[in-house]
Amino acid sequence: MWKYLIEKEFKQFFRDPGLPRMALAFPVLMMLVFPFAVSMEIRNIDLAVVDNDTGRESSLLVEQCTSSGYFRLVTLCHDPDEAQRLMDENRADAILTILPGFDEEVSTGTGLPAGIKVNTVNGTKGSIGAQYISECVRMYLAGKNVNVPSDDTPRMEISEKYYFNPYMDYKLFMIPALIVIAVTMITAFLPALNIVSEKEAGTIEQMNVTPVSKTAFITCKMIPYWAVAFFILTACLAIAWAVFGYTCRGSIMLLYLFTVLDIIVMAGLGLLISNYSSNAQQAMFVIWFFAVIFMLMSGIFTPVASMPDWAQAITYLNPMRYYADAMRAVFLKGSNLRDIWYDAAGLAALGAVMVSWAIMSYRKSD
Amino acid sequence: MAAIEIRNISKSYRDIRAVQDISLKVDEGEIFGLIGPDGAGKTTLFRIMTTLMLADSGSGEICGHDIVRDYYGIRKIIGYMPGKFSLYQDLSVRENLEFFATLFGTTIKDNYDNIKEIYSQIEPFRDRRAGKLSGGMKQKLALCCALVHRPSVLFLDEPTTGVDAVSRKDFWTMLRRIRSSGVTIFVSTPYMDEAALCDRLALIQNGGIIGSGTPEEIVSAYPYRILAVKGPSMYPLLKALRKIDGTVSCFSFGDCHHVAYDPARTCREAILGKAAEEGFADCSAEEISPGIEDCFMQLSGKWILN
Repeated sequence: MWKYLIEKEFKQFFRDPGLPRMALAFPVLMMLVFPFAVSMEIRNIDLAVVDNDTGRESSLLVEQCTSSGYFRLVTLCHDPDEAQRLMDENRADAILTILPGFDEEVSTGTGLPAGIKVNTVNGTKGSIGAQYISECVRMYLAGKNVNVPSDDTPRMEISEKYYFNPYMDYKLFMIPALIVIAVTMITAFLPALNIVSEKEAGTIEQMNVTPVSKTAFITCKMIPYWAVAFFILTACLAIAWAVFGYTCRGSIMLLYLFTVLDIIVMAGLGLLISNYSSNAQQAMFVIWFFAVIFMLMSGIFTPVASMPDWAQAITYLNPMRYYADAMRAVFLKGSNLRDIWYDAAGLAALGAVMVSWAIMSYRKSD
Repeated sequence: MAAIEIRNISKSYRDIRAVQDISLKVDEGEIFGLIGPDGAGKTTLFRIMTTLMLADSGSGEICGHDIVRDYYGIRKIIGYMPGKFSLYQDLSVRENLEFFATLFGTTIKDNYDNIKEIYSQIEPFRDRRAGKLSGGMKQKLALCCALVHRPSVLFLDEPTTGVDAVSRKDFWTMLRRIRSSGVTIFVSTPYMDEAALCDRLALIQNGGIIGSGTPEEIVSAYPYRILAVKGPSMYPLLKALRKIDGTVSCFSFGDCHHVAYDPARTCREAILGKAAEEGFADCSAEEISPGIEDCFMQLSGKWILN
């Protein structure tokens, strides 16, 4: 009987005009488009330079900036007002002002008469742009081999080395997170909508007068989505390897294990949503609510550690937090289960609560 | 053993009492009709008997299986066709039928003779998706799906609602054939004209049974006599007839008014005379025997009395 129930679900899945295509397009889009689109790497900062010195040194500094690849030189002018106008018109993101006497003061090492002005309407772009410019100035000075300000106190050299993602490649950072989003959407929200639509169509009632148990019916309903979730996980890993050359540092089995844990939590959540909503519209709204909270409070886009304490407390209830953390740790760092046992424990605890709550409310809806 | 027996079933939704203290007994192999208007509690009673819902109080058995304790046993031996078409729209006719057959652990082939008569009418469309069928064919498919596992009792919740007059007639012919194969049929309908087609029936109103028996028994228990009155201006006539001494009620039935009167207090001539006094001289009145609907009106207590 199970075989026929599952067969029916697959039949309906593949007969749906949109679902199979979506399942196929989702990982491809996720892997090939989103890593670029959601990249927080800042490039193409429009830079206006106000050069009031026009000496050799100032042109060297400008060259240092433009050759870094982060900046697009919009104009090289002598009038600060013009540069300001460009910024007001949104054509320049940053202004580098070189004051008269730059050449001389840098050569003698008495000072660095230059100023940086950054448009921070877009906060991320602004602060990162400012960092880049200072970095360029520092590099320029390093190239000059002068100390600014020149004094005789011993200096500490600080150099940075980035572990696990040495080039700060944002795409590499996002790929495990995108898998997390895809798996969650497929395993929690699609089955919920499916069950609610059976409710709406009245077919669930027809099923309930047959000898098929509710458990068998619901489980068979979810199995195709689990299959799709594993397909998406596999496809995403394959695309990441084939297109970007990224491989998982840790055990791939561990990725699958965490996906199984996540699926259990999400199955419970999906069933809960379907129990508490009587039509697709209600379900959609609840889904949207959870999807937004899960994503924004998961640490996928913004680090959990930089959230205020109360917000951090909320993230402990978010299954996506554990799943995303684990997937990144395994994929980027090669962590093993001992390193990230707390993620597994978090998912398992949430899963136990969700599933028992879902089953209880499902029984009650009898 | 009775096919269906329920005792003192009550069910409330919050403070709305949907079904109150209903007891029914349905014998094997009969068509039992549950007749009542929308909102009378028919579907609630169906859901309780088909084990989809628990009653607040009361007990019952379907073919000897307790409706609470042995719900699983009941699900194997009943067929249920809800009022709303609820088969899988995206599966074909054949797939739907096959699917429901498998759920009961049987096949179309084994039970083909049971559904042949109905299925043969939709078989030409067996590869069409159920959602793309016409209303009448959907109904036939639903009936096939409810019959494919040879149920002992067939529950049909308002099967003819929204179906045209010819199809309704066909449908009742099908029900009679199904009954002849020994299946007990419990059917609900808001149409009073279908009541006469049942072997026995119960009239339900506001969650309570207001009368039951064979159609003949119900009609013969009617305590008054009925005149079908026609006249030129019907609505003023209706109001005038209601005022006449000795008439118990008067309702509009299609193209005439049914005037129920107490034969001990008045007669046809007296009523016509009174109507003429009121200015309705050219009325025609005919003695008719009461129908189920007249009985329902009387039993439901919807009297406009004098």
